[in-house]
Amino acid sequence: MPADTVSIMGIFDSENSAASAIDRLRETAWTIEQVHSPIPSHTIEDALEPPTSRVGWFTLVGGIIGFFGGFSLAAFTSLRWSLIVGGKPVVALVPWFIVGFEFTVLFAVFGNVLGLISQARLPRFETPPYYDERFSADRFGVLARCSADEQDELTRFFETNGAEINTDDKL
Amino acid sequence: MEQTLTYKSIDNTVLDTLTPPRRSYWALVAVLFAGVLFGAGCWTYQILVGIGVGGQNNPVFWGTYLINFVFWVGIAHSGTLISAILHLFRAPWRNPIARAAETMTVFAVCTAGLFPFIHLGRVWLVYYMLPIPNQRTLWPNFQSPLMFDVVAISTYLTVSSLFWYTGMLPDLATIRDRAHGLRHKIFKVLSLGWTGEYEIWRHYTRGYLFFAALATPLVISVHSVVSWDFALSVVPGWHTTIFAPYFVAGAIHSGLAMVLTLMIPLRVIFKYEAIITTRVLEAVAKTIVFTGLIVGFAYGTEIFIAWYSHNPVEVESFRWRAFGDYALEYWIMVTCNTVIPLLLLFKKVRTSIRLLFVISLIVNVGMWYERFVIIIGSVAHDFLPHAWGLYTPSLVEFGIMIGAFCLFFFLFVLFVKHMPSVSMTEVKETLHEGESHAG
Repeated sequence: MPADTVSIMGIFDSENSAASAIDRLRETAWTIEQVHSPIPSHTIEDALEPPTSRVGWFTLVGGIIGFFGGFSLAAFTSLRWSLIVGGKPVVALVPWFIVGFEFTVLFAVFGNVLGLISQARLPRFETPPYYDERFSADRFGVLARCSADEQDELTRFFETNGAEINTDDKL
Repeated sequence: MEQTLTYKSIDNTVLDTLTPPRRSYWALVAVLFAGVLFGAGCWTYQILVGIGVGGQNNPVFWGTYLINFVFWVGIAHSGTLISAILHLFRAPWRNPIARAAETMTVFAVCTAGLFPFIHLGRVWLVYYMLPIPNQRTLWPNFQSPLMFDVVAISTYLTVSSLFWYTGMLPDLATIRDRAHGLRHKIFKVLSLGWTGEYEIWRHYTRGYLFFAALATPLVISVHSVVSWDFALSVVPGWHTTIFAPYFVAGAIHSGLAMVLTLMIPLRVIFKYEAIITTRVLEAVAKTIVFTGLIVGFAYGTEIFIAWYSHNPVEVESFRWRAFGDYALEYWIMVTCNTVIPLLLLFKKVRTSIRLLFVISLIVNVGMWYERFVIIIGSVAHDFLPHAWGLYTPSLVEFGIMIGAFCLFFFLFVLFVKHMPSVSMTEVKETLHEGESHAG
């Protein structure tokens, strides 16, 4: 982080005003560092235009491992005890699809959880210094960075857009 | 959703439910816990004396333990319908009841999962069902529907629990941010340091969508697999291809009734009227009419196919169900599950909270009897007349059943007073339906 820059947090009381401020900030040279929201807002998502999450790849890999794992487990246990039961062949493919399916879902969900916690970098044991406890209730936060000599200008920008400013020295 | 709701009012309403409980709450917890201990005592007695203390005997070896297993797995299903399937369909009325329904799912699967253990008799041999290297060099047979069931139910419990916990993360952070001292520390850990950063939401919403997409086929597969425990045998009344959709519809029917049974008192006690509106309960009631019609169609189809097949064993099996020794149970089933829910077609009935509650209880009773009729009615009266016999549950079985009901409500009552029983985040989302920013 360059030493001659500052971060300012604008705290909005509505989703729309936060999204409008994000739209306008993206037209300036200032950098949006973080956005906090109590809900998964599509309005803010439209304003931020973030890339698609990669969690799905973890889910897919988990699912593939699960399917072949479940199928192989069923095959392995049958081959370890090669007894014909109910006239069905020892290597009975059809019933094993059920085992394969259940394992697909199980491991896809494990992959999904792993993808979620690794991509979102959870768990976090410390909240950042600029975090405002109202972000989990009813406030939307937009943290923007500017050069030190533009601090007043960015503050004015937030105020004009209806934000409350977090002037915490730790920012 | 009613316009009077705001983010703050939603938080306040839900967080007010987490204040220290009154004595009456602990008295209820104590009564339920006593019921759990009573059930555990009955099970212990069965373990010490032997499985013979139950009423199962030739020809009915699958008694109330299996009835309760199927009943509780069925109850679980509507939680996943509400949290996953209706999430994919973007039905906003599911948001206020999704958390409690998911909670119901997890506790119902836990309760259901006990019954195969109880039914085993020698419960310490349960590891026979696990594919682990052992001194017997024996392995589970994955061609058996009972092994499908072990895999399906374990997967369902794991997936439902993870889905439930993941969905709670934003709300746990809301509690953390208003808590102090030890409570703050506990919720700080439980919320995994959730901060509502957009970067987290981006991955979370994607992950949640995949959770829903995976839970949807899973829930259908689980009760299909449960139905195959019966349908893959050759017993008349069980050996039918309609069983999987019939069981899935029945499961959702009973689960939705249990959602109403739980939601209606919860709504009154926790003053959730502004969040769980009459419209939400009405939507559940309409879905119950739909699932009731499917279940009624299945009852009719079974009888039609028995008649149409000209198979004398099948015809006798269904004649006996309707007019034999368990005719009373059969007609309780038909009336409670398909006739009485039709009353919900009338707006006056489905907007009357008391009637809704009464009908939900009636459907719960009817669905328990459905499992009785299917499980007992088929094996009690199969191919050989000289092998026919009747079954009556023993007191030990009743004790275990009471214990199971108490366990479910005990867990649910503990949860709703210590964790958010309504998803604050998801209710807040409904306030933004159709809103867009000027940009």
